[in-house]
Amino acid sequence: MTEVLRNAGLKRVRMRLITAVVFVFTLTCSGAFGMEDVISSSGPGLTLLMILILPLVWSVPMAFVASELGAMVPEAGGLYRWIRRGMGEYWSFQGGWWWTLSLYVDSAVYVALALDYLGAKYPVTDDTLLALGSWGFTWRSLIGICVVAAFTFINIRGLELTGWSLSIIQVGVMVPLLVFTVWGIAVGGGNSFSPILPQGESVLTSLSLGLAIMMWMYAGWESMSTLSGEIQNPQKVIPRALMIGTPLVIATYLVTVYAAVRVARLDGADNWTNMWTGGGVDFVAAAQILGGGVLAYLLLLSAILSNIGLYAGYLATGSRPAYQMSRDRLFPGFFGRTHARWGTPWMAILVMGAVNAVLINFNFSALITIDVFLLMFPYVLIFLTVMILRVREPEVPRSFRVPLPTWALGLWVACPIAIAIIALFVNGTDWMIGGLIGILTGPVAYLVFKNVYKGTTDRALEGSELKGEGAAGRAGRGAGGVQA
Amino acid sequence: MNGQRMARYAAVAGVLAGFAAIAGGLSAHAMQPLFGTARFFGIASDLLSGVHVLVGLGALMVAGGLITLKWPSVGAIIVCVAAMIGLTYTNDRGQYRWVPLLYYWGAPWVCAWLAGIFAGYSAYQRVPQVDEPPADARPAQGTGG
Repeated sequence: MTEVLRNAGLKRVRMRLITAVVFVFTLTCSGAFGMEDVISSSGPGLTLLMILILPLVWSVPMAFVASELGAMVPEAGGLYRWIRRGMGEYWSFQGGWWWTLSLYVDSAVYVALALDYLGAKYPVTDDTLLALGSWGFTWRSLIGICVVAAFTFINIRGLELTGWSLSIIQVGVMVPLLVFTVWGIAVGGGNSFSPILPQGESVLTSLSLGLAIMMWMYAGWESMSTLSGEIQNPQKVIPRALMIGTPLVIATYLVTVYAAVRVARLDGADNWTNMWTGGGVDFVAAAQILGGGVLAYLLLLSAILSNIGLYAGYLATGSRPAYQMSRDRLFPGFFGRTHARWGTPWMAILVMGAVNAVLINFNFSALITIDVFLLMFPYVLIFLTVMILRVREPEVPRSFRVPLPTWALGLWVACPIAIAIIALFVNGTDWMIGGLIGILTGPVAYLVFKNVYKGTTDRALEGSELKGEGAAGRAGRGAGGVQA
Repeated sequence: MNGQRMARYAAVAGVLAGFAAIAGGLSAHAMQPLFGTARFFGIASDLLSGVHVLVGLGALMVAGGLITLKWPSVGAIIVCVAAMIGLTYTNDRGQYRWVPLLYYWGAPWVCAWLAGIFAGYSAYQRVPQVDEPPADARPAQGTGG
């Protein structure tokens, strides 16, 4: 029964390690755009220190924990499945719901950012094509909807095509960024670590200003796990990709910021204070300083592709938990449909694409503030899950295991849990109000969906005996939907 | 876990959420009678002051908590939605966010969340699971490669 529910209908593709690394890189980094805001608010020195230190207590623990849990529970839905095994149906629904809610908004942000970058150079995109009352349908809307539609189709077509798309996009992102970085380090001036803090700011103030963005920049390590049901040998491929992707992401952030601060200084020693996305000395403007119009246009293309890549990646991963919740009879049934030919959760992808297409046409900046807040809670649940499973199921084989005894792992994951909790209070009340409301939607949604759809027993995933699993498993394989 | 016991915990948490909101409203009233801008989504009325909203939604949460004893899911949803409305009210203050009022919603929010959690556990115990795949979960024709 459980196999039928979890993976039936999904087509497993053979994903090469390099493609998996591209997935991880896209979901966690995709260039370094967005770092400009951290530099101006936290100071260049503190930004570089955060890039180096924060991973040790924030993203690396998540990468390792995601690897261990992915190796132990290589199931479609990823984090939703892990939490179900460790903490049961209620909390897995909460984790899956908050994560999905966050990504529905988050992914639309990336398309909006890509359009903003485009609009900064080509204001024509704001021209109205069709006026509907107070709302106007613009070129911006049209381009945005086309981007969403294209990547929705690519995602429905399957992970192979999505992987290829992301690989091409990342070449487009990284080549200009590499040129900018190498040129910037060679030509730029000054010590990028100085000053450590903005003038007149305390460490705590500077830290709190940049922490939310840095946490956002270093998030996404758990995302690829949601694709486990559609990849052959996910328990090996994904942990390896995470281990390669982690230093790659840190290095990308470090050298890009280091170079950008040096380049900004070419226009004045304190020009880093003007670094922010959307109008300040962003990386595109820095490229203009460094290499003139050609390099600026290349960086602009890189920035647009970076955001489109993030969108494509998060459309793939963000749609899967809803699909699995539907399979577990905790979400509307149509989310659980798989494409008969391509073996993808096409309806879940289509719904997410449709929501994104609508969201990009409205000013939803207030919703963005709840993003990171909502992500913190699933993260805490994931860290608790790894500890629960270490204690409760120590003998279950894991092809990857964090090389620490359980007590040491507990101490390590206590760091990101503490950071997540502290971040809830230091990142401003705009975060907090939206986030607190978002958290309460979890219990409400569970109570509604549980009473309507009832839920379904999944003994294997909840760590109990596999009663009747043999016959059900055969039925699942007989249906022809799953490869071993 | 016992579904009935969880429902009782949810009811207690819901009633506590309501009393916390009412106490917050009365405390605010003692310091400033019409605490908070008397306006909500464009509607202006003295009945929409911070005090009135705290006390009114608090009473609703108490009712929700009591309903939880009989219908755990319905009651907990009332408690949680009331807290969500209260938090939305703190956000709609002209200045986008209003910290003094947010403090008063801290305890009701925590209790409402607990009510939701306990009601969720209760629902997990009480609602019979369906042990069959969804009818529309159709298998794929082809397999990987």
